[in-house]
Amino acid sequence: MSERVAWDIEAAGSPAGGAGPPPSGRAGQRARTRGSAALALALCAALAPAACGGGGSGPQQVPLGARQTIVFAVQGGISASLGSEGRATGQEIAAFEKAHRGITVQVLPLSEDVNTSYQQVTQRFLAGSSTPDLVDSDSSWPAAFARAQWITPLTHFGLDPAAFLPGAVAATTYQGQLYAAYWYYNVEGLYYRTGLVHSPPTTPQALVADAQQALRKDPSLREGLAFEGNKYEGLVTVFIDFLGAFGGKLDPANLDTPANLKALQFLHDVVYADHIAPQAVTSWTEQNVQDAFVSGQAAFATNWPYLLGLAEAKGSSVAGQTGFIPFPSQTGKGVATLASDVLTVNARSTHLAADAALVKWLLSPAQQTARAIESGDPPSVRAAYTRALFKSAPYFQVDEKVFAAAVPRLVSPNYHQISADIQAMLSSVLANSQTPAQALKATAQQVAQLAKP
Amino acid sequence: MTAPGRSHGRRWRPGEGLGYAMASPAVLTLLALTAFPILYNLWNSVHYDNLLNPAGGHPFTGLANYTKVFSSQTGLLAAVEHTVGYTAISVPVEVALGLGIALLLDRPIPGRGICRALILLPWAVPSVVSAIMWKTLLDPQTGGVDYVLGLLHLPGAHITWLNASVPTTWLAIGVIDIWQSVPFVAILLLAGLQGIPRELYEAAQVDGVSAWQSFRRITLPLLRPALLVVLVFRTLSAFLIFDIIYALTGGGPGTSTTTLAYVDWNAFLTSSDFGLGGAISVVMVIAVLAIAAGYRATIKPATA
Repeated sequence: MSERVAWDIEAAGSPAGGAGPPPSGRAGQRARTRGSAALALALCAALAPAACGGGGSGPQQVPLGARQTIVFAVQGGISASLGSEGRATGQEIAAFEKAHRGITVQVLPLSEDVNTSYQQVTQRFLAGSSTPDLVDSDSSWPAAFARAQWITPLTHFGLDPAAFLPGAVAATTYQGQLYAAYWYYNVEGLYYRTGLVHSPPTTPQALVADAQQALRKDPSLREGLAFEGNKYEGLVTVFIDFLGAFGGKLDPANLDTPANLKALQFLHDVVYADHIAPQAVTSWTEQNVQDAFVSGQAAFATNWPYLLGLAEAKGSSVAGQTGFIPFPSQTGKGVATLASDVLTVNARSTHLAADAALVKWLLSPAQQTARAIESGDPPSVRAAYTRALFKSAPYFQVDEKVFAAAVPRLVSPNYHQISADIQAMLSSVLANSQTPAQALKATAQQVAQLAKP
Repeated sequence: MTAPGRSHGRRWRPGEGLGYAMASPAVLTLLALTAFPILYNLWNSVHYDNLLNPAGGHPFTGLANYTKVFSSQTGLLAAVEHTVGYTAISVPVEVALGLGIALLLDRPIPGRGICRALILLPWAVPSVVSAIMWKTLLDPQTGGVDYVLGLLHLPGAHITWLNASVPTTWLAIGVIDIWQSVPFVAILLLAGLQGIPRELYEAAQVDGVSAWQSFRRITLPLLRPALLVVLVFRTLSAFLIFDIIYALTGGGPGTSTTTLAYVDWNAFLTSSDFGLGGAISVVMVIAVLAIAAGYRATIKPATA
């Protein structure tokens, strides 16, 4: 086809600039032929990308030993972001490239905001792109991506399910196949100030009482409980903690339950009845909660394990007086929502061998330990919890206890829409524009339609 | 490209075929960029098309997607109401304020040139940037708005403006949109005002006409063409408001600040539901065309 196009260009192009005699009838005829040739050329140009994008049966694979570049989409990129995750990722990649001569890893930075990065990734998948090869995904994404056949199962990657911490495999398995590997282990737990709260609360009611008492005792405190109340995914993970505190569950088929209502009422009351959280939490994300807790203005705070390292660091005003526990529950067993970053692989990737090598590298105990020390991200594989890790960062021993309480999020290809509806419900309750009972009833009807797999 | 002469019947004049050939890439590009998406979108809007669920196929669904747009159950009807309500309130306020500023700047006041340049600044800031800037300013703990209100002993010094209550959130959106759009209105109307011959006012003054009378009888009628342009532009962009909402509230609290453009984005990009997204887009296009036609019919420019 390219030859023909080249010929057409010549044929159509040569007389155009000529200042010869006025064309006769025959010349007009010729011009017409040239016209259709140019038309064909334009059509070819218009259709060519579609033809290229069509793809055949399974992409041609580049072998591991070949010189190649793989694209790794990383949330927040490798610039320093929350804690120092970006820097840790950069170091791991540099070490990988050194150990695997010929493979270059190009980082595609995604937004730090999980809602935005979801769209960035979806758009690339929708376009049928073979890159990014590897995606640093939120653990709520794989089910949707798997149903859309955008990501490939990791069955042939040689990963050992028993190597992971509890819940990590269940949370990334869709229709019986493992579609993602936990990069690190993240749970939404409860931080408290050991100086202000002598024994950690064991029920949500005790948490409220402790927070109120701390506020009375220490006038420099501004929040009894700081939490992520902005309308985004982070609020959903906090809410799953609250659900567990009352024995509730995020089940889209059956959302309007008495236990769930209690949890929603609790969310409302901490701001409007118990006054342990300011109305300002309605715009708070992890960063605001982190600032509030590390600066010593909050008695309790919900957040991820990374905060423990920052709170215990030199210069922190709460160093040496930070406790980290699962969120207390009436049921007696505390809860900590498991919601972390997982690694997924593009089903159209032409570098599956190199992708597998990078996944294995990132999950190797040595890299996991290094990452944990550098960034505070808890390893997702058991073997990385070594004496060396505890020696340089003793708080990981605290983390291990919280991990025992991990509760995976709902695995559903419709998770994103369910979460969007839940976010709207939580936001309207936090703004006091709907009563918890009204909001729960209306949302239960909406998400029930999304309950089907 | 100029045609050498008229073509007679089916016979092409010399060079005419070449003319079509030369024009065809541009025509095809335009068709590919406008006609194809519009038709494809129409097709989508009457089919099921969810890219996250390829197994669902693309069955014909009739007007099901359109019924969803006007159903209270899906929450989309609320977005329609928010969009219409917001447009109906914000546009008159913006045009009134802009007209006031334009009238002021039309007078020979000292520093008029600097004022005209300064007033354009908010309009020159991209709206996502100004929304994020205002979000920072409105933060109850670190923002400047509450701080200044507190210094001046004004009410609202301890208010969480965004996503904590529906009225304050809308107020914040309105203030930001007005802050950004009034300069545009003012500059366009100012241009219109300067096109009105001064002699008319002088003659009116000689006849002893009051200022209000000369505004009503001279300024307003002669400002009609400029007003039409301003109203069409502002109404359409208020109707299509997205960026401020996206950056400032995410549609919250709850879904109380969702607009048509916001739910359309949500349908396309969160749910990957191209059927529903297509239907919302079609509804928006029809509404926007109706608004433009309505203005054209009511305010006929004198020169038309």
